Amino acid sequence: MSAMNVIDAQALAPPARAVGGPAGGAGLHNGGVFVLALLVLVGGYFAVTRIGRGRRSAPKDETWVPREPPPERPTPSPPSEPPGATAVAPATAAPATVAPVPRRRPAVSFDRPAAGWAVEAHGLTKRFGANVAVNGVELCVPRGSAFGYLGPNGAGKTTLIRTLLGLTRADGGTMSLLGFPVPAERKQALARVGAIVDEPRFHQHLTGRDNLRLLAAARGGGASDRIESSLQRVGLTQRAGDKVASYSMGMRQRLGVASCLLGEPELLILDEPMNGLDPAGMHEMRTMITSLADEGRTVVLSSHLLDEVERTCDALAIVDRGRIIRQGPIDELIRTAGASSLQVDCADPALAARLIDEAGIAAGTSRTDAGLTITLPAGASRELIADVNRRLVTAGIPVYGLQEVRASLEDWFLSVTTRLGEQP
Amino acid sequence: MTSLADAIPSWPLIATRHLELRKRRGLMIVVGVVTIAPTLLILGLRLAFHLFDPAHYGPAGYPGQFATMASLQAGLGLIVAIVVGATAGTSDLNDGMFRHLVITGRSRLALYLARIPAGLAILLPAVALAFTMLCLVTSYESVPQPAAVVMNDNVSIPAHLGQAQLQTWARQHPRQAAVAFQSPAGITGPRSVSGGDTHYADYLTNEVTQFEPPVNEMAKVGLWVELEVGIGFLVGLGLGSLTGQRAVSSILLLGFELIVTPILASVAIPYFLDGQRLDFGVAMDQLRPVWLVASTDVGGLGNVVFGGQGAARIPPMPTWAMISVIAGWIVVWSALGAWRMMTRDA
Repeated sequence: MSAMNVIDAQALAPPARAVGGPAGGAGLHNGGVFVLALLVLVGGYFAVTRIGRGRRSAPKDETWVPREPPPERPTPSPPSEPPGATAVAPATAAPATVAPVPRRRPAVSFDRPAAGWAVEAHGLTKRFGANVAVNGVELCVPRGSAFGYLGPNGAGKTTLIRTLLGLTRADGGTMSLLGFPVPAERKQALARVGAIVDEPRFHQHLTGRDNLRLLAAARGGGASDRIESSLQRVGLTQRAGDKVASYSMGMRQRLGVASCLLGEPELLILDEPMNGLDPAGMHEMRTMITSLADEGRTVVLSSHLLDEVERTCDALAIVDRGRIIRQGPIDELIRTAGASSLQVDCADPALAARLIDEAGIAAGTSRTDAGLTITLPAGASRELIADVNRRLVTAGIPVYGLQEVRASLEDWFLSVTTRLGEQP
Repeated sequence: MTSLADAIPSWPLIATRHLELRKRRGLMIVVGVVTIAPTLLILGLRLAFHLFDPAHYGPAGYPGQFATMASLQAGLGLIVAIVVGATAGTSDLNDGMFRHLVITGRSRLALYLARIPAGLAILLPAVALAFTMLCLVTSYESVPQPAAVVMNDNVSIPAHLGQAQLQTWARQHPRQAAVAFQSPAGITGPRSVSGGDTHYADYLTNEVTQFEPPVNEMAKVGLWVELEVGIGFLVGLGLGSLTGQRAVSSILLLGFELIVTPILASVAIPYFLDGQRLDFGVAMDQLRPVWLVASTDVGGLGNVVFGGQGAARIPPMPTWAMISVIAGWIVVWSALGAWRMMTRDA
């Protein structure tokens, strides 16, 4: 990560306007005094309303300087890394090991937590005429998790978020945020929630800081005291004095996140925060989201970008046509839903295939250029991989490597949404 | 359910709403150009001409100019107030900030109410500044004031008399009164302005055209101008919040005030008189202070709070009716705007 290089841009006060001139001479008529008086009055008025305020001359550098991630947080997996874990068995009889997929936070539990759910919705329904945008949604988001809300465009993701936040009225069902029923205790709930819904838009004629001042005033409490820290957190301190009209999409997204942080939220709901960002911006946004989750906040990330959700979140719900198809920890969903396979690099693939088929422990085997591919049954545990390795070694077949190939989130997502799409 | 305490906007919220409005450079230029610039230009030129060539150009202030300029300020102020109100009512929606604000959990009613003082804090000082310029020029740069009101045949009557005082003077000077008002019977009987006796009106008309207004009359006119501007803002804000569209709201209200109201105020439509009176422009016109009414020849006289009654081409309204219509416009449009704000999908 690059070194921090934040320079606080000071508000540059416009030079005071020189108003008026030398006082009129004694020979001037009283009307001259009035002309001068009127000029002073009008000049004073314009000065008060700051119509003639000059533009700030803050540097236009858009350098994004996110906070360094906490040292205890492991580095996210690189994009090229396959989602399945890789393990190489020793060529000898040593048992194969399969490394688990590293997760950044403790495993997410969907058993009802003692602290309650961050988001809970039952039978939530929202209609627009004949169109059911949110269709009886049952959603539970564990506290402290990074939760992905994944679905194709038009699936009803934004409508669900708007309904949860009380931006639009639900037509049915119940919901709560951080244990506060909505809309009955919406004010208490939203005091602890920060959210970006859709594309973040602000008053274009105001600076980023002024927009935050407006939102902080509406939020109340100590929000005004957190403006600078929020700007610094998202790396916008240098450009905070510039008008939002001059901001790039990425900067507006960051300003949106800064507005979320004004209330020290326990729950962050981010709707498509990667939209419009270039790869570097997406990386920065991802880093920030994970760091926010690492602080113990619950982050709900709505997105149609599978890769982003898989790399950022612990758990997810997949939504299509207003309905949640699946929800749970990502690892568990992939493991239970997608067929995994085991690539075996061994000395005698034919003999190994016959041995495994006779044992009846796999769903199937096939010969490939790389050796032997064993299709694992759904829900197979890691012990099965060790069992395969043990049987081959016991039969005297040298094993050079074992690699589990799991279905990616994308494979699974496409399969479940396609199945749904095929329904009448 | 929004409690009353939640609905009261905080001072920081009002201040930031004010900030949001006054940082709109184009809007502020319009406010300055429409409210201040005409007064500044006209009076400034007159002052300058008189300053450099007093032999050919008289003092900047002269009888009748005050009423003309004040009426101009009221008319232009109403226009700009409607535009500012419609802008305040739609800016959050159009800029996409409404959603952000709602997510803060702040009462939507408070968000609406905060715009009222924020907008008025821009408009009222601007109008007050222009009006103050007018008052200063009228008070200190005007022609010398006559000692008495000159009526027919150069009969002089003391200035600044009330209706009762005028009658007392007439009883004490019956012959002069008969000449002054060209009324052999005198003017000491029961009087009713609306009943056709225009003697007091004649006196006031002469006084207004010969004198500059006293301070208390200036204050009345100033309050009336500010009231006109304030109502324009509130109605614009309400309609803007209701429609969510600044241009549509502005055009509708400006069209109503510039086209419909003058018609309603000048023509008595049979069987629709009460409907005409429901127009706040008509009610405001009838509430017009006497110092504006008489000198601008737009109506008769009355004795309501502001001391005047314009739009006299239609039968006058009772005072309570004027106030009810004006209050009704404020309440109804504010309620509609607030209701839409509270129920609108964000």
